[in-house]
Amino acid sequence: MRERNKIWRKPKWITKTFYNEKYMPKVNRIGKLTGYLGVVLAFAPALMLAVVYGILPKGAALATAFIAGASSFGVLWFVEPISYFPVVGSAGTYMAFLSGNISNMRIPCASMAQVAADTKPGTEEGSVIATIGMAISIIINVSVLTVGAILGASVLSMLPDGVRAALNFLLPALFGALLVQFGMRLKKHALIMVVIALALYFAIGMGWFAWLPGASNWLGTLGCVFLSIAIGLATLKNNSKKEQA
Amino acid sequence: MDIMSIANSPAMWIACAIPVCFVVLQAVLFLREARKAGAEMGLTNEQMKNAMRSSAVTSIGPSIVVLSGMLSLLVTVGAPVGWMRLSMIGSVMFESIAAGLGTSAVGVTLGTDPMTAEALGMAVWTMILCSIGWVIFATFSANKMDKIEAKVAKGNTATMTMIASCAIIGVFSAMCASHLIKPVYQLALAADPAVVAGSWKNCLACVLGAVIMYVLNTVAGKKGIGWLKEWALTITILVAMIITALI
Repeated sequence: MRERNKIWRKPKWITKTFYNEKYMPKVNRIGKLTGYLGVVLAFAPALMLAVVYGILPKGAALATAFIAGASSFGVLWFVEPISYFPVVGSAGTYMAFLSGNISNMRIPCASMAQVAADTKPGTEEGSVIATIGMAISIIINVSVLTVGAILGASVLSMLPDGVRAALNFLLPALFGALLVQFGMRLKKHALIMVVIALALYFAIGMGWFAWLPGASNWLGTLGCVFLSIAIGLATLKNNSKKEQA
Repeated sequence: MDIMSIANSPAMWIACAIPVCFVVLQAVLFLREARKAGAEMGLTNEQMKNAMRSSAVTSIGPSIVVLSGMLSLLVTVGAPVGWMRLSMIGSVMFESIAAGLGTSAVGVTLGTDPMTAEALGMAVWTMILCSIGWVIFATFSANKMDKIEAKVAKGNTATMTMIASCAIIGVFSAMCASHLIKPVYQLALAADPAVVAGSWKNCLACVLGAVIMYVLNTVAGKKGIGWLKEWALTITILVAMIITALI
């Protein structure tokens, strides 16, 4: 009886490993604690302005600005964590959303760390390595920003115009390179996805989805991630059927 | 007291250092747990060191991009707040828009009109209030989404790997497509030629990034050149960036 109870409470696909039994519960504990505490601490500069300098915005004006912000970004608060979860996992989600810069830094770093350590995405080892990669990228990123902020705008603006113009091209080049890096393992799939993504972004750009609030901000990533997963899983199912036949 | 000297005062530096240090603290806590788990699960020290080095190298380029975007924020809301907002829950585009929404609600156009005390307060509060939604939902939902994913994959490692690999391809095909297709629909919508020209350059950078990476990866793979594999990404983005800027 006791035996049956145990089986019922733990689905059979959750295996008893160090990862599931020790690591994940700890990740969730750290993640929840630091996530919610982080939200509270984010108000420190606002409170400093209020307490020390007596600068406190009027409620009505702040509500206006907040509503304007929420109606342009509000959907992203929910759609982005869902879109990026299959890529970054639990620990990654806790870290990436507290630190920001997700698609341009956290995901590239986590994925490149997996490549360097020769681990597969989606495995327990891969997830641990991605967490290590992401943590390091946060430390480096904050260090660079700290140096920049202390040097100040006057020093930063001495960057030659040519360099600053060139920096605009860094992210598109990075995305192109990473698509190749990760697409080469599943070439056919990657090609299909690029065609789908181009069609989807063309439609979004033409304003055909203008009836969805703020669609240009989130529809592309959300659509591509979940279409890609759906197509991948369908192929996997198809292949295993073929093997059995 | 002048408002920008308040914005850049030691008190504001201290107030902003608290959340920034906290972000680093969280990263350190996760790093420690992951390294412990990695050792327990049989990952070698070598693998973990490689992961850390590769991530550090990959971070540098994008960090500099964020830094150059930080310039406008440093000038408008002061160095400490700009620093804190980009180190925590930050993205340059979002922060500038949120700050602008805040100040415009009290009639100050960010970057053009002189900053007032009221507008600074509005900018800071709006940026914070509009950004915590991400953290609250992500923190709330992470373990729940983990359970859903485990149910979908039913503990099958091949399925989990497929989901993660496809999700990565999905993210980067989306990011690439947004740059690649932009000049096309801008042409279709008859946008300003100068704007379209800029979009073509981004499109070119993206294509160059893909092509150079393909060449380097193939060469490194065929000849078994280890260092080239490791530096391929950095070389690619630098070369693609420079060629695009020169054309």
